[in-house]
This record gives sequence, C-alpha cells and structure tokens, in this order.
Amino acid sequence: MKKYETPLLNELEKGPWPSFVKELKKAAKTSEMANDEVGQLEKSFRDKRGYWKHGGIVGVLGYGGGVIGRYSSLPNEFPGVAHFHTVRINQPSGMFYKTDSLRTILDLWDEYGSGLTNMHGSTGDMVLLGCRTEALEPLFAEVTSRGWDLGGSGSALRTPACCVGKARCEWANIDAMDICNDLTQTYQDYVHRPAWPYKFKFKIAGCAVDCVASIARADCSIIGTWKGNIAVDQDVVKDYAKAGMNINAEIVGMCPTGCMSYDGKTLTIDDENCSRCMHCISKMTKALRPTGERGASILIGSKAPIVVGSLLSWVIVPFMKMEPPYTELKELAEKIWEWWDDNAKPRERIGEVIELKGMRSFLEAIGVPPQPQQVLAPRKDPFFFWKDEDLNGKK
Amino acid sequence: MEKDELKDKIFEFVQAAKGKKKLKEKDIIKGMAEKTGETPDNVKKAMREMIDIGRLMYSYGGGSSSVEIPSEEYLREKGLIK
Amino acid sequence: MAWLTEQEAKAKRKTDIGPPHYSKMLPPVISKNYGKWKYHEVFTPGTMVHVAESGDKVYTVRVASPRILATESIRAMLDIADKYCDGYIRWTTRNNVEFMTTREENVPLIKKAAEDAGYPAGGIGSGLSNMVHTQGWVHCHSAAADASGLVKAIMDEVYPYFTEKKLPAKTRLALACCVNMCGAVHCSDLAVVAIHRKVPEINHDLVKNMCEIPTTIGACPTRAISPDPAKKSVKINPDKCMYCGNCFTVCPPIDIHRPEEDGVAIVVGGKVGSLRKGPMFSKLAIPYIKNNPPRWPEVVSAVKNILETYANDARKHERIGEWIDRIGWESFFKKTGIEFTYQHIDDFTFARDTFRTSAAFKW
Ligand code: HEM
Ligand code: HEM
Ligand code: SF4
Ligand code: SF4
Ligand code: SF4
Ligand code: SF4
Repeated sequence: MKKYETPLLNELEKGPWPSFVKELKKAAKTSEMANDEVGQLEKSFRDKRGYWKHGGIVGVLGYGGGVIGRYSSLPNEFPGVAHFHTVRINQPSGMFYKTDSLRTILDLWDEYGSGLTNMHGSTGDMVLLGCRTEALEPLFAEVTSRGWDLGGSGSALRTPACCVGKARCEWANIDAMDICNDLTQTYQDYVHRPAWPYKFKFKIAGCAVDCVASIARADCSIIGTWKGNIAVDQDVVKDYAKAGMNINAEIVGMCPTGCMSYDGKTLTIDDENCSRCMHCISKMTKALRPTGERGASILIGSKAPIVVGSLLSWVIVPFMKMEPPYTELKELAEKIWEWWDDNAKPRERIGEVIELKGMRSFLEAIGVPPQPQQVLAPRKDPFFFWKDEDLNGKK
Repeated sequence: MEKDELKDKIFEFVQAAKGKKKLKEKDIIKGMAEKTGETPDNVKKAMREMIDIGRLMYSYGGGSSSVEIPSEEYLREKGLIK
Repeated sequence: MAWLTEQEAKAKRKTDIGPPHYSKMLPPVISKNYGKWKYHEVFTPGTMVHVAESGDKVYTVRVASPRILATESIRAMLDIADKYCDGYIRWTTRNNVEFMTTREENVPLIKKAAEDAGYPAGGIGSGLSNMVHTQGWVHCHSAAADASGLVKAIMDEVYPYFTEKKLPAKTRLALACCVNMCGAVHCSDLAVVAIHRKVPEINHDLVKNMCEIPTTIGACPTRAISPDPAKKSVKINPDKCMYCGNCFTVCPPIDIHRPEEDGVAIVVGGKVGSLRKGPMFSKLAIPYIKNNPPRWPEVVSAVKNILETYANDARKHERIGEWIDRIGWESFFKKTGIEFTYQHIDDFTFARDTFRTSAAFKW
C-alpha cells in the first residue's frame, strides 16, 4: 500500500477532541480506498480545495435513490478513490442498535467498501462512505437479505427521522419513533423511486423542544403538543427553590406569555394563556407535567436557504390526534404531495410553491380551514381577493 | 393494449425525449396515458417493470431525478449485457 | 467473507423492506418503560438518569464522536456496550454516542472505557453538544472549505464547554461547507458557513456538451444567468451573481472554486426549539475569514470570542439569539468588537424586514 506523508493532517491528530484523521487512518491500515482518501485529503488541505467530481449516476437496479455517486477528479493519482460512492442505510427509528445487528453491517462494509462511515448523515441515515460501482449490487443483496434497506436521495421522500421520543423522554406527547417507522414503511415506494419535483422530508419531534430540528429542516414537521393544563406538584416546586433555583427570575420571568406567578410558596399557571412553549417544563421537569389530550401540530415548508432564502415551517394543522395507523396524517400528506406535484417546477420545495401560489390555494387544496393558530398576525394591507363563494355569502 | 406493446411505446417516448427534456416519472405516465388511452396506473406498472429489469433507469442531475434509457456502461455493470 | 456472485446477489436481494423495526433494537428497560418516563436528572455534562413511573432507572453516558468513524472504532464502542450495556447502544441526532445501563456502578466504568478509546463524555445540559457538520473536502464537490478539519480545530479549543464548563444555556454549533447547508445550519446558536466570493468561471466548450442550458439558467436564484447563443453556452451577469454555486451543482464546467478567495462566514443567534422566544434564524456576525488549514486559527479565535462574550454577558437560560435580542445587535457588535460592514446589511429576499424602523437604539 502506498504511504502518504501527511504533515498537515497530522496537526489534526493532536488535541483533546476525537480526531477524524485518526479515524481515516485506522481504516487506511487495511483499505486501499481509505488510504487514498487520506492522500487526496492531504492534497486538498495543501491546495485549499476539494478534488471531487459532481454526482454521476449510480445505484441499484430498480431504485432511484440511496446511493450518491462520487468520483475523484484525480483518479490516476488516487486510484482508490476513483469511485467513492455513498451508500445510505436507513437507520432504525431513534437510532438504537443491538450490537450484533450493527456488527453485521460493519462486517459487510469492511468487505465491500472503505470501512469509513458517518454515524449518521444529516438526514438520519447511516452513511457508508466510499464504495466502488461494482460493489453496489452484491452489497445491496447482502444488506437487504439481512433485514436492512437503503434510505432516500434525489427527488424522493427522504428517510424520515425522529427524536428519541417515548423511548427515553418524559416530554414526548406523541410516539415519535413509531410514527417515523410507520411513515418509512408505508412510503417505501416514495423513498426508493423518485417521483417528485424535488426532495421531501418528514421529521418528527415529541415536543416543542424539537431535538431533531424538524421545524428548520423538514418539509413536513410533526411536533408533539397537548391540549390540557400543566399539572404542578407544589411540593417539588419547593424542592427546586430550596436547591437554589430563583423561580421568579428563571421560570416566571422567562415565561413568554407572562402566564405564571410565584409568591414564594405556590406556583400558579394561568393555563388559558399558556402557549405550551416547554420552557418551564424543561427547567422543572420533576414539578411540571402536561395533562389532557395529546397530539401533534403539523407544520410545513422549512428548508435551507438555497434557492430563495431559508424558511422555517409554518403551522397548518394546529392539532391532530396521533394514533396508529395515523390515517389522518397520511391522508393529509398524500393531498400535500398531489398539490405540490401539480404545481411545482423542478427543484421547488413545497414551502417555495406555497409562497408562489399563496397559502389560501394550498389550504383549500388540502382541505384545511383558516385558523388563527396558523398566523402570527393577520395581513396589514387591504389588498385581498374575494372569490365568488366568499361573496355568495356563506359567511 | 398488450403490455409488451405498451412497453415498446414507452421506450420510444423516452427515446424521443433524449437530450431534449429530462422526463420525470409523472411526465411519462401522463404523456403515455394521453397517447395510448391506457390508465395511468397501467402505464406506471409497465414503466416500473422496465426500470426493474434495467430497460429504463432512474437518473439524477442537479438535485432532481428523471427516467432515462440506461447507458451501455450501466447495463454492463449490472450484468445485463456482457 | 467473499463477494457474492452476480447469481447469488440476484437470488438474495430484496426490495422495499425498510429498516429493521426499532422494537428489536431497544434495551429491555427501555421497552418495559416505553412512554412511561417520569423525569430525568443530569449529573454531569456526560451523564444523566431517567426515572420511570415504575421506579426503574436508566443511566446514560453520552460521548463525543467525530461523526466520521472507522468500522474498527464502532466495534470498540460495541464492545463497551456488550460489556456494560447488555449489548445495546444509541446515537443522538448530533452524532453523539449514548451508552445506557440500569446499573449505576457501570457509569464511571463506561465513561472511562469510552475516554480510553478516545471519545470523551459530555454534551448534556447547558453547554456545548457536538458540532453538527457536513462532508467538506473529505467527500463533496461543492465544498468551499473542509468540514471535519474546522470542526476538529474549533472543538479542541472550546472542549471544556463540552465536558465540564457551563454556558448560560444549551449552545448548538454547526458547520456547513457550502451554502447548500446540508446540515441545515441556518438555525444554530453559532454556525460556520463556507462561502465562495467570486463569479464562477465558465468553460464554454464543456458547457456545450455537458449541460442542459434551461436547467442551468433555472438553477440561478438571482437570475444572473442568461443564454449565450453565439457560444452555445451561458453568460453570468456579475452584478447579480452572489456566488451560491448553484449553477456549478447542475453544470460542473461552471467552476466556482477559488482557493485564495474561498473561506467562511460566521452566523449567530438561531435556535429550533419553541421555548420562550420561538425558533430563530441565525444571522450574519462575520462575513468572511479566509481558509487557513489545517487549523484555521482565525476562525477558531472568532468562535471563541463570541462564545466567551456570550458566556460573560448573558442571563441564565438565555440562548445566544435571546441574549442578542435583549441587548440589541448594536451592542453585540460593540461587545464582541466585530466590525460592521456593508455585507451585514441584507439585500436579498427578506431585506426590508431587517431595517430598523424605530428611533430607539443604543450606542
Ligand atoms: C438544495 C440544497 C442541497 C443540495 C444541492 C445538496 C447537495 C448535496 C450533495 C451534493 C451531497 C453529497 C455530499 C457527499 O458527497 O457526500 C449532499 C449530502 C447530504 N445532504 Fe445535501 N444538499 C442540499 C441540502 C441539504 C439539506 C437541507 C439537508 C438536510 C437537512 C441535506 C442532507 C444531506 C445529507 C444527510 C447528506 C449526506 C452527507 C451528510 O450527512 O453530510 N442536504 N447534499
Ligand atoms: C433541560 C433541558 C433539556 C433536556 C434535558 C434535553 C434533553 C435532550 C435529550 C435527551 C436529547 C437527545 C435526544 C435525541 O438525540 O433524540 C436532546 C437532544 C437535543 N436537544 Fe434537548 N433537551 C433540553 C433542552 C433543549 C433545548 C432548550 C433545545 C433547543 C431549543 C434543545 C435542542 C436539542 C437538540 C437540537 C437536540 C439534538 C442534539 C443532540 O442529540 O444532542 N434541547 N435533548
Ligand atoms: S423533542 Fe421533546 S420529546 Fe423529543 S427527545 Fe426532545 S425533549 Fe424529548
Ligand atoms: S409552557 Fe411556556 S408559556 Fe406555558 S407556562 Fe410554561 S413557560 Fe409559560
Ligand atoms: S454543505 Fe455543500 S459542500 Fe457540504 S456536503 Fe452539502 S452540498 Fe456538499
Ligand atoms: S453562483 Fe449562484 S448566483 Fe452566481 S451565477 Fe451561479 S447560480 Fe447564479
């Protein structure tokens, strides 16, 4: 195996934070591919630029996603990375693993690829980094015959992802892991066979803390919430005070709706004015608990700034019950896809299409009535449209 | 229409668009349903069968996916031609 | 193990089975108490306990990873999980690894074993979690800077805030190696975004053969690209181009790389949770710092400066964005000593929402 001098990368083996260079070099001990990745990366650090060619078309027969083509632009100098494709393996919901079952994937990856991974990619899949084209079919057969499958890429439903939810979090209002798994299984065809104008992402968070950042990076954000009051255990509130918490400054004073008060003995919440932001609950988890009906808020449209600026998701359905098999959610999703598919140009995300066509035509198409929870404030201009049905006086 | 005949028609349709327009699944389903009078569902089924055996393939460029006729290189790599 | 032959592969392959069901991956204590957790307590930035209604407890040790992991390293982690966690392990959404056990006495043993393997415990509560990031020069064609290298250099410097030191609130760092922002860093407390700064150069001969002209024109968010019929190619209006590299993504002969001009910007003040103020976008703090591998010292010290100014000035539970909202951006620039430039004033799609429309401000 070729030995590369790596004076620049060596600098990144020093220091207390885990070193990715050490990881690359561990894999390079036994893999020519990983070894040439090290060589090419050192050159990138010297020249301050990457040496990868754009995409290319690779994949497994019948699927249009799950593999991202990647070729070195210096294949003669670094033959090990001439092909260096990514294989996305769909993670189990919540990213829990039984060790044997993950070892199976590792053994296969040592055999068929570079031995390098990303645990995990930003969407949630396990990312196997660095594979030759001819390894794709046999690797796919090995992986699927052991009960695993590829995730999404391209203009498809991307691998849904979720927070840890009910598995280990007292704040989960919905079964985020089950919803994630159910959507993934129900829509396998949309994950693997790109049929849409562009990508579409679901992310499911059990509460408004939003540990999967669903509100910022999912076309459809599903966020758990509740409808009842917050139950207060006054004895435990006293314990927090005794332990040194300044309840007036840290809890009451930071409540965004000003709906709490504390007289040094009793913590009172004016529940009707609470917006369920999770601040107080997250700071006093032993004392405060949501009660009553649970469900999810459905928000739509967030994306990174490309092309016309970043968007956060917008509330469209303020409250939806979430019980298996999640029929209401699926019916809504299917209507959303249909409208989007009919109205989008290639590479337009749902949020952009709603901006272009107007929230009203979107809401009408998916059959959701207007509600004040959908907006921060009503419009400030007098330029609005009336349709015939508005004039002919149902209202 | 016989399925095989439909498949041949789909192939011609995709071939005609080559280099002119990147076809998405929907373009093929809509276009062929109009052309042949078949139901969109039948067109979709036929198209999918063609993709499954490598007579057509999914392609990808610039962030969006399309359906194309596979290159020789692709067919060789999948063991579909020697 | 030998590679499957074509025949074997054909016989074995399945499609559309999806991932394994999560229930097969859960430690027994998690299955038993699923949906019945009562509260949790954080002991140290690397350790916490969750207590169920049943009284059962599960202890978690959270450790850092560099996201890029060799199979050898994952095996070492799995060995720890076999020894102390009955053969179960989990990853968080920010690339941390979690070891869970019902036996409190295992907690220090797990922590030590993970640290010996090179993966320190931390990341829980009011401090730094792992810095999410994208591929960079390790794997992506669009990258204007490396990702893992910058993250390593930054995390080495702010390391104590991961393992032991507190900040006023949770602080989320992120890095994207181009404006596509695969990590969706636009809502992070502090994020580094790699940027290009020059109009791309067009290789007209290759454009003719490799690119679809309408797609290329359509890809440009600012409509800077128009046809150049004489050359059977396209031209770029330099007054409109903002170097997003979107054209390069659809048409590689339009090259955006400029090693001496590429670099990073730093944005601050985003968050995703609805707690208190609601989710916020990150906004521009520093428009440009040049690429200086392998350790990007200028970027590292800029990050540290912002973080420490925040740590010294913010109130308890205030995220960076909430702190800046309270003191005002004019005070942010004053306190951090960061220069305010034309680049800071928005001229993109939502510009007018960012201009000041009140006569009240600070000096
Ligand atoms: C329009 C904007 C985007 C474009 C053009 C784009 C393009 C790309 C490209 C070319 C890669 C390949 C990198 C490699 O070679 O490994 C990639 C990787 C990836 N992208 Fe994006 N991306 C975009 C936005 C996003 C967003 C917003 C997310 C997630 C919220 C995302 C998630 C991912 C993931 C998970 C990977 C795999 C590697 C990783 O985790 O870093 N992408 N993207
Ligand atoms: C005391 C308060 C909090 C506790 C105990 C807490 C607990 C947790 C837990 C258990 C996770 C891991 C879940 C998973 O990986 O799926 C997590 C992750 C996360 N939390 Fe929180 N959370 C708290 C407050 C917040 C706040 C205030 C925010 C932001 C507004 C936030 C944002 C996140 C994000 C983005 C993640 C994913 C990153 C990671 O895995 O480290 N959390 N949190
Ligand atoms: S989003 Fe809410 S329910 Fe989910 S892990 Fe985070 S705090 Fe828990
Ligand atoms: S959840 Fe938020 S709004 Fe409601 S009482 Fe608590 S801090 Fe106030
Ligand atoms: S952020 Fe840009 S350069 Fe980085 S991985 Fe994503 S597309 Fe590639
Ligand atoms: S870099 Fe971006 S703004 Fe400039 S021409 Fe290309 S697509 Fe348009």
